[in-house]
Amino acid sequence: MISDRLKNIILKELNLESFDFKEDTTANQVPGWDSFNHINVILAIEKDYNVHFKGLEILKVKNIGELQKLIDSKTQN
Amino acid sequence: MFSYIDFHKLLQLFVYDPQDHIYFSTSLFLFLFFALLIVYRLFAKSRNAKIYTLIFFSLFFYYKNSGYFFLLLFFSTFLNFYFGNWLYKTKSQAFKRFLFLFALIVDLGLLGYFKYTNFFIQILNDLHSGNIQPLDILMPIGISFFTFKAMSYVIELYIGSMEPTNSLRDFCLYMFFFPNTLMGPIDRAAKFLPQIQSENVITKEDIGRAVFLIICGLFKKTVIADYIGLNFVDRIFQVPLKYTGVENLLATYAYSMQIYCDFSGYTDMAIGIALLLGYKVMDNFNVPFIATSIADYWRRWHISLSTWLLDYMFKPLQMSFRRMRIYGSALAIFLTFIAVGLWHGANWTFLAFGLVHSTFMAVSLITLKYRKAFYDKVGLSGTKTLKVFQIFITFHLLLIGAIIFRSDSIPTAINVFHQIFTFFHGAVFFQWIVGYQKVFILVLLGYVLHFIPISVDNRVQKMITKSPLIVQALLIAIMIIVAVQVQSAQLQPYIYFSF
Repeated sequence: MISDRLKNIILKELNLESFDFKEDTTANQVPGWDSFNHINVILAIEKDYNVHFKGLEILKVKNIGELQKLIDSKTQN
Repeated sequence: MFSYIDFHKLLQLFVYDPQDHIYFSTSLFLFLFFALLIVYRLFAKSRNAKIYTLIFFSLFFYYKNSGYFFLLLFFSTFLNFYFGNWLYKTKSQAFKRFLFLFALIVDLGLLGYFKYTNFFIQILNDLHSGNIQPLDILMPIGISFFTFKAMSYVIELYIGSMEPTNSLRDFCLYMFFFPNTLMGPIDRAAKFLPQIQSENVITKEDIGRAVFLIICGLFKKTVIADYIGLNFVDRIFQVPLKYTGVENLLATYAYSMQIYCDFSGYTDMAIGIALLLGYKVMDNFNVPFIATSIADYWRRWHISLSTWLLDYMFKPLQMSFRRMRIYGSALAIFLTFIAVGLWHGANWTFLAFGLVHSTFMAVSLITLKYRKAFYDKVGLSGTKTLKVFQIFITFHLLLIGAIIFRSDSIPTAINVFHQIFTFFHGAVFFQWIVGYQKVFILVLLGYVLHFIPISVDNRVQKMITKSPLIVQALLIAIMIIVAVQVQSAQLQPYIYFSF
């Protein structure tokens, strides 16, 4: 389940009105989510949730569902 | 009748000869490939037999092209297979990292030794005015391609984005696979390995596409690239100062088409040949000269290399520099393009080529916001005019890179720019068209074919798919005959124009 908090961070960072995020949505399916905006999205998530990702953790993430899981694993600790 | 056959000579055909390679466009290859297809057809029911046939043929192909360096291909294959699988199973993160770095260092160390040792000796000599003798190092053909293929396996296993294969045989086929060992596409283990174990059915569409690609590839490589290279481009870039600026500029336009046709022609054939064997390898080119920016160009040119570097170098670097925001991205671009430059060869020109492209990309990234605002303001955003303008500018920026890339040294490149900007003599253009009619027609044809809409390509491909097998075979045969004719055509005489 993708949280509204995560959805809103992504929408705000990519200047989008709305987008139907699913578990298996990948970055290249979302308008404007290119490799340059990718770091802005990641930085925004880190700031909002007050977490820090390791490079390898981020590289492993294949879709939004996995991104959500990564955030959950960081915030639950 | 066998008394007419010189068996010794026949045997020689199968032995490595540094002067005699078998590329896809050579008659020996076409003959052997035809034989391979027949054997492959006979083994249609046994997957194992097909895999071993391909491994054996691929090893012969590599041996024929590079002699005993096939041992290096073996080494690279075993190293990356065992280290990849070992690190995947390892629980301790620190040891995993150690195994990963070890494999990476050996891979890059070997590549570096064969490719760059003499370049560094030369730099050392230049710096200290020393006199270290260059080493007698012969570079194993295709090492840059197969090393990157092997590294993709270890890197993906380290990241955890793919499952390892337990079959050394399958991994050997991935590494040896003759269509792409010499010049790419640099395939990904994650995409290729699953195909070996799947029912690789060859559809009618696959055959049609393969025939289309092989015909296009042969045409681009032998008719356009080789002809304009030998008869025009090479001469100008050998001594640019002997020619006017307009000839230097025309040679640059011609060279851009030549290198595109040469490289994409070869990979078209590789993709087509792989398809006939039931394997889908990565795409490598997607109409690069219609790119509207340098970044767009790198999504269309040598895609298998650019995505490799994007995934395994640029993204990790960019992620670790992320606190620097846009400047972190610019730094990652800069470092990645130094790698792009060096990957192409050990010469200052390749390094300069990388620097020029990274500068274009970084400036483009940093000014993107302002350019977009400007286009919005003047009402150009999303218009065809803007697109044509962007294609034109991008193409000419690419020419700057092409001049540096083609020149054998930085001073030669400077001479080309010097002639274009200070010794143009535009009127020579008309004499040039008359003197180099065939070159002119081929370059023009290359660009026209490049810019025709992709839908035309698809229609031709469909027509070939629908035609009977005998017609498809005939089409390839005609193309081979044309290619042989062009290859054996006499060189055009040198022409010096008066101005």
